[in-house]
Amino acid sequence: MNVLTHPIAFYLLGLPVRSTVVMTWILMVVIVLLVLLIKKTNPAILETIIEFILNIVGDVLNVDNLYPYLSLLGSLFIFLISANLLSLLPGLTSPTADLNTTIALSLIVFFSVHYFGMLKKGVWGYLKTVADPIFLLPLEVIGQISRSVALALRLFGNIMSGDLIVAIIFSIVPLIVPLPLITLSMVTGVVQAYIFITLATLYIASAVEISQADEDGRKTRKKLFRRKEVTNGKS
Amino acid sequence: MENLEPGTLVTIVTILVTGIGVAIGMIVPSLMEGHAAVKALESIARQPDAANQIRTTMIIAMALIETSNIYVLLVMLVLLFANPLVTRFFGG
Repeated sequence: MNVLTHPIAFYLLGLPVRSTVVMTWILMVVIVLLVLLIKKTNPAILETIIEFILNIVGDVLNVDNLYPYLSLLGSLFIFLISANLLSLLPGLTSPTADLNTTIALSLIVFFSVHYFGMLKKGVWGYLKTVADPIFLLPLEVIGQISRSVALALRLFGNIMSGDLIVAIIFSIVPLIVPLPLITLSMVTGVVQAYIFITLATLYIASAVEISQADEDGRKTRKKLFRRKEVTNGKS
Repeated sequence: MENLEPGTLVTIVTILVTGIGVAIGMIVPSLMEGHAAVKALESIARQPDAANQIRTTMIIAMALIETSNIYVLLVMLVLLFANPLVTRFFGG
């Protein structure tokens, strides 16, 4: 039984290409064709989808202009929802049931967080705010790595376990009994896509926003240092 | 017990450990998730205006709690399907 690895579909220039990669390509083509079709026939649906994603992102991210972040987060959301629900179709497997896909997605989020932070505050200005007292740098590095790993493992574990449970129940009782579990895995897929986007937005917000507490903290710290210098000079 | 081959013994121990580990590893995060849901429902009942914000925060918190759940599941799946001890010492 293959749970953690997927079968190799074919070899491309000597490199093995797994079946989930082929599923991702199918999904990309389907999404692009679907969007082009909707754009030609009924553009109002696209507007509704964009409004929905803007609502999700705007709940967490407090910036004036949301549109620079929309291209990344919106495409992640659409891709994740359709990828999580792809295993409903017989013969297809979810690309996100493969650990490689989710690690790639969380790496994209990891690098884009720093990219947006540097874009907003400048390279040096961002690096200064990453670890404010410099001795907290190791903790910050550990936090960055562990949250990226958790982001990948959460998505993979949820989708894979949903598919696995449905497969096990299906092998025992193939009729009607798997239906509630399929519903549960559908709900899990949508909720996990939502959570992935919310967490990615949260990480971007923590890199982009200059919080009032930070500013106040820096000012009071400077004041304290100054007072200490004054008292040292007096004594 | 002495008549068993070492590979069989490792498999039996792995299955026992997996069953007990999944049970314990699923009970604790589920209890904590229920706790989070209870608290969120109480505060929604007290302040219906802030329901949206509370719901978003609750879902994020529950996802973070569920991460430990998923870690347990992954460790147990590795033990069951890709056991490093069996493949290393007994050649699969």
